[in-house]
Amino acid sequence: MVAQAFFVGVFGLAAIGFGVAVFRTASMVRSALALLFSQAAVGCMFLAMQAEFLGVLQIMMMATEMSIMAIFMVMFMMDPGGLGGMDMSHQKRFSIGAGVSAAVVAIAVALLSDWGPAAEQVVDAEAQTRALGMELLGRSMMIFETAGITILTAMIAATAVAIPVQNLSSKDDKEASE
Amino acid sequence: MTMILILALVTGAILFGIGVYGALSQTNLVMIMMGVELMLAGAMVNLVAFWRFLHPEAYSGQMFVLVVMTVMALEMAVGFGVAIARFRAKGSVEMEEAEDLKG
Repeated sequence: MVAQAFFVGVFGLAAIGFGVAVFRTASMVRSALALLFSQAAVGCMFLAMQAEFLGVLQIMMMATEMSIMAIFMVMFMMDPGGLGGMDMSHQKRFSIGAGVSAAVVAIAVALLSDWGPAAEQVVDAEAQTRALGMELLGRSMMIFETAGITILTAMIAATAVAIPVQNLSSKDDKEASE
Repeated sequence: MTMILILALVTGAILFGIGVYGALSQTNLVMIMMGVELMLAGAMVNLVAFWRFLHPEAYSGQMFVLVVMTVMALEMAVGFGVAIARFRAKGSVEMEEAEDLKG
């Protein structure tokens, strides 16, 4: 239990530290890498809380996702290396107030609520994965299938939005004039 | 055990707060998406902690985490689609310049 508390605390601190670093650095590549480390630390917290499948999934997904994000940052940002020292933020005071308020309210709820007795033990990783599979293909099958359809819809929508718009009417006019 | 639960919930709350700050303060679309990712990460930490320490027998808790991970991936896919369209049209993904839809 002491080891579990230690690792949850250490990885939690790492997740928070890298999360702060995301918005503290001027280099966009460093921002993306800091977010990757923050999300990996969250995955390690899952492992420390004995949710092995979710922990491994989180680390794998976020490693891929943040690598893609780093490539997009380099493509889209005016100063991806942060060498110009540009400040790309606005309404800082309001944002800090909103962020601190949200965190304080959530911490207050966490500290003041009566959570009741906490579970001491969970089943091992193999039994957990089996039970999660049974849940996905049993009681939660509709949610699981809906998530799959939503991913497909989002993939098509994202591709449709990203491809260049062709002005078909002017193309027809050009062909007619020729 | 309750102490670890509270430790995880406080971590999730702080991650959520950092995400709120990032989503509101950044002017670049990709950086705003990073803020949203941190908010969702905070929510996931809370969900896993609730599953582990309050209801380890109910696997719908883990199912909920999978749904949040799906939402994170979708947010990235659609966000980058919008970013590409915006960059192609205006040459920038700075959201302070995206006032075209204002009435």
